Amino acid sequence: MVRFIVRRLLVLLITLLAVSAATFAIPYASGGDPVRTILRSRVSDQALDPSAIAALRSELGLDRPILVQYLSWLGRAVRGDFGMSFTSRTPVDQLLGTAIGVSGTLAVIAIGLAFLAALPLGTLAAMRPGKRVDNGVTLLTQSFVAVPEYWLAPILVLVFSRYLGWLPSAGWRDPTSIILPALTLALRPMAYFTQVTRAAMSDVLASPYMTAARSRGLSGGQALLRHGLRNALLPVMTLFSLWFAGLLGGSVVVEVIFAIPGMGRLVYSAVVNHDVPLIQGGILCTVALAVLITTVTDLLYALINPAVRVRDGAV
Amino acid sequence: MALSSSLSRDPVPSTAPRRLAHLTATGLRAVTGRHWTLRIGAVVLALVLTVLLLTPWIAPYDPAHQDLGQRLSGPGAHHLLGTDQLGRDILSRLMYGGRFSVSIAAVTLLLSAVIGTVIGAFSARRGGIVDEVVMRTTDLLISIPDVIVALFLIAAFGTGYGMLIAALTIVGWTPFARLMRGLALEINSREYIEAAEALGCSKVFIVFRHVIPNALRPVLSLGFLRFGHKLITVGGLSYVGLGVQPPDSDWGAMLLDAQPYMQRLPLLVIAPGAAIFVTALSVTLIGHGMELKRKRRTDAS
Repeated sequence: MVRFIVRRLLVLLITLLAVSAATFAIPYASGGDPVRTILRSRVSDQALDPSAIAALRSELGLDRPILVQYLSWLGRAVRGDFGMSFTSRTPVDQLLGTAIGVSGTLAVIAIGLAFLAALPLGTLAAMRPGKRVDNGVTLLTQSFVAVPEYWLAPILVLVFSRYLGWLPSAGWRDPTSIILPALTLALRPMAYFTQVTRAAMSDVLASPYMTAARSRGLSGGQALLRHGLRNALLPVMTLFSLWFAGLLGGSVVVEVIFAIPGMGRLVYSAVVNHDVPLIQGGILCTVALAVLITTVTDLLYALINPAVRVRDGAV
Repeated sequence: MALSSSLSRDPVPSTAPRRLAHLTATGLRAVTGRHWTLRIGAVVLALVLTVLLLTPWIAPYDPAHQDLGQRLSGPGAHHLLGTDQLGRDILSRLMYGGRFSVSIAAVTLLLSAVIGTVIGAFSARRGGIVDEVVMRTTDLLISIPDVIVALFLIAAFGTGYGMLIAALTIVGWTPFARLMRGLALEINSREYIEAAEALGCSKVFIVFRHVIPNALRPVLSLGFLRFGHKLITVGGLSYVGLGVQPPDSDWGAMLLDAQPYMQRLPLLVIAPGAAIFVTALSVTLIGHGMELKRKRRTDAS
């Protein structure tokens, strides 16, 4: 177990180093000269003053060897210091902090919604395999996977805020403004959760301990609640963290549509405005979070798994 | 081996018309008698692909032709689906836009599948430290949202078709590698691999001649299942203005253009989104049907 943990952490460290090097290299890749990139983003003028370039170069320490620059950048990045955002003149770590909170809230609500809908649907489908209910659920989940969120969102806005006037079309201040984006985001995880619930549940229903429970005199519903659900939940739970990691930075399109000040929209606007420190901080932060969450889930799962096997055998 | 034997089950007739009839019959047999999701999906996808292939000949208008007197008109006799804010025919734009959407998604999918399959197969064949590194890499890459990879590449190198394809392939190969590795581990323990090794075949030869061909079916069904995701992501990047750049326009870019006018003409938003939805759904259904059939077969054996 210790070897397992050490190995995973080592891989995590290497990955983070690789990603940090890649994000550090962004301004070098785009124009070759980061100073020109920065100045161009500020003045948007092709004719740059050579003395201004030289001044900025020494101000930013860009006349030093590139490895030294990377190491000092990394040293500051580890402490959360990515410098100032060009566009908003605010420290990048502050912007990232608030944005992570917003995206996290949205992701938790969306995943919660998805789970609440997926559990009964998946169970129903598993109980009647090959029947009309099962086919219906299959078609529903396959359709949900195929819905582009940038299609659903405008239609929801059109119906619920323009025509009916019930919900705000964008923003984040009002609690009601969470409803439409959360619904939009919940659709795809819901479809996947349903599929996994169905698969796990049909395994459980076919297992000997369910037959044992039924033969002890438990009704179908009781057996399902007391033995089935508990055992079917674990595979669904492990999906949660994966989706959480994905939605934290990956809900760019939905955040842009609904003007939600989350991670996705922050990184997107940084890319559009060539705000280099914010791009670096945002991308490194998103990827680091995703990778960290995955590693922690892996470790937790490895911890839980033997216990699960023992419990299954004991029932 | 299994694949070649299933292909040569019937003796192929020699004359040309007979061969054509035989091909048609094989094609029909591939669709009928399968799971209902596969049948529906195959028919819809065939329709969509036919329309997109024939677009230059059957599109009613030039997609860039502006009829400024006929802006935002609803469906009618001249314009079957109406016109957009510049008086361009929506149906023609849908047909031409679909060619970009579908072909970009297909290219990224093909690249991802080929790269992932080869990496997975060699990883399983090699084992040891190489296998460990490959698997840990896929574990971590799979958790990175591909939109973030796309934003990263665009920040570093700017927009473009190459960037779009690269962004979706960098993360996209991982599920294929995982699947292929699992299948390859199983195939590697079979007798015919042992026989090939005993005959002195090289690793590369065994992987390409025996391992990959025997794992094609599951890889194919995964490919079908992943296509919708690619199509939607490509459209999403175009929707936020980072994908297909004007004057080219795909379904995602059409949705972006339609945004300010959606209240006046909802069809402007509904049509391109529906095109993505129908295409993605049909391909996913095919994948689902194939997957079910494969599961049933492995359960039965």
